[in-house]
Amino acid sequence: MSEYVLQTNQLSKRFKGSVALDKVNLSIRKGSIYGFIGQNGAGKSTLMRIVTGLAFPSDGTIELFGASAERELTQARKRMGLIIEGPSLFPHMTASENLEVNRLLRGIPGRDCVSRMLELVGLQGTGRKKVKNFSLGMKQRLGLAIAMLSDPEFLILDEPTNGLDPMSVIEMRELLKRLNQERGLTILISSHILSELHLLASHYGIIHHGKLLEQLTAQELHDKCQHYVHIKADHPDRAAMVIQSVLGTSDFEVMPDGVIKLYGYREQPGKVSSALFSAGLTIEEFMPMGEDLESYYMKRIGGGGDV
Amino acid sequence: MYNLIRAELFKLRKDRSFRVLLLITAVLSLAYPLLYYMDNKSGGKPQFTGAEFLVKFMFSNGYVIKFSIAALAGFFIASEYTTGAMKIIASSGNDRGRLYAAKLVGFSAGVMLISLIFPLLSMAEVSILSGFGQLPEGVDPFFIPRVLGLTLLYTAGYAAIGVLFTAVFTESGKTISFLMIFFLMIDMVLGGLGEYIPFLTTVYNYSVFKLLGDIGKIQLDSGELPVLLLVPLLTIGVAGLLGILVYRKKEIK
Repeated sequence: MSEYVLQTNQLSKRFKGSVALDKVNLSIRKGSIYGFIGQNGAGKSTLMRIVTGLAFPSDGTIELFGASAERELTQARKRMGLIIEGPSLFPHMTASENLEVNRLLRGIPGRDCVSRMLELVGLQGTGRKKVKNFSLGMKQRLGLAIAMLSDPEFLILDEPTNGLDPMSVIEMRELLKRLNQERGLTILISSHILSELHLLASHYGIIHHGKLLEQLTAQELHDKCQHYVHIKADHPDRAAMVIQSVLGTSDFEVMPDGVIKLYGYREQPGKVSSALFSAGLTIEEFMPMGEDLESYYMKRIGGGGDV
Repeated sequence: MYNLIRAELFKLRKDRSFRVLLLITAVLSLAYPLLYYMDNKSGGKPQFTGAEFLVKFMFSNGYVIKFSIAALAGFFIASEYTTGAMKIIASSGNDRGRLYAAKLVGFSAGVMLISLIFPLLSMAEVSILSGFGQLPEGVDPFFIPRVLGLTLLYTAGYAAIGVLFTAVFTESGKTISFLMIFFLMIDMVLGGLGEYIPFLTTVYNYSVFKLLGDIGKIQLDSGELPVLLLVPLLTIGVAGLLGILVYRKKEIK
């Protein structure tokens, strides 16, 4: 048995005059939560759509649960749940009717899974209310219930927290974490909220203009994120001179608000503070900091943009 | 496959447009003979019996069939593309050919039910008002079951064409308008072109479009019934296979 749930090999997708995916080699390890990061139009949804069988690749192959032939892939997709570009729902039906249609589609025996899933996502009290009258957050939760209906081994979630209120975002994160830990569920998730992904993902993939720039684990990301000491002194210019002359380093930045980011001294904060004190400077803020996923991502794609 | 058909029938049962179409067809089926009844009564003309009404007005059911297929294809099937529901269907781990076939069965069942409302309901109403009477002289005693059976078969043939175009267009508005125009104009187009290309006249003569008008014929010549049976069956087969090919290649947005 392969240790990977999903692998793509030189996967490409071209539309008229544009390349949506360019020779992407992506690997998702069994039991991982894979955070898929990229700007709008970077190719995240296209890749997810190909994996779920909604779109077809122009070149390259995918291997899902070890299956790569078309017929086997169709079968393998039974082991998968998904939310792609928003939950796919029947608006004129109730929550339980939506689940019932999907139960029949997937040939799941017994109706108890319907009430179980409604309970799992906290929609058991919606009764005869039609889905078209649901809030966006309720629709997202119902989408997740449908995705989880067949007890999948692999979950593909494209922006699952879109439209959720802060409390629901936290609940969704905790639910996904629990499913991952308790059932060993593998999750491929994309989100615009990188801080949210940072709290959830065990692996990351960064895609930009259809190219997969990098895949890394959470530990590798942590190691790669630059760490620094955040310093705010009463005289930033003098503080910068002291750092340069006393500590002998020019690996720092003075930010427009006067904050100094000193790289490389995170493990020796005492040395820094005593140098500044000795020079008669008053330190207003002093703390070791690390870059987060967002700043790492921005650096990796080489500039700004809408994530 | 059984589960997929059950899912389609479940959706059909819950579909509002289907219920509305059933209701509208039922209301019209009751109103139409009632207007005749009142008109004939006030004008002192003899009333139709149930049997006579069926024989005389069976052809009108063709419009009901065409209209309900266009409307239901747009509201019931194409709306699944619009709402995104088709994504969860297409990625459910079922073969696309089976999904399409199940959809065709579910959809056909819906329009077949609608197609029986007008003949049955109006005939029943007229029979209550003026009695069932007798089938006119020379009418085949199996006329009623034959007409109803062929109505179901031709509705399924038209439904196969409707589902095929829905897979091509995928948008409710486009599907409804195209199918309406297509079903209303196809006789004229094939008839007109047939004057220049005789082969098209043959095609038209052996198509569901032409033969739908023949299913209410009082007397069938020898050889007519097999043609009336074979043409819709072939239409279902060909349109179904074409639809499966289109749906297999379709990227679901």
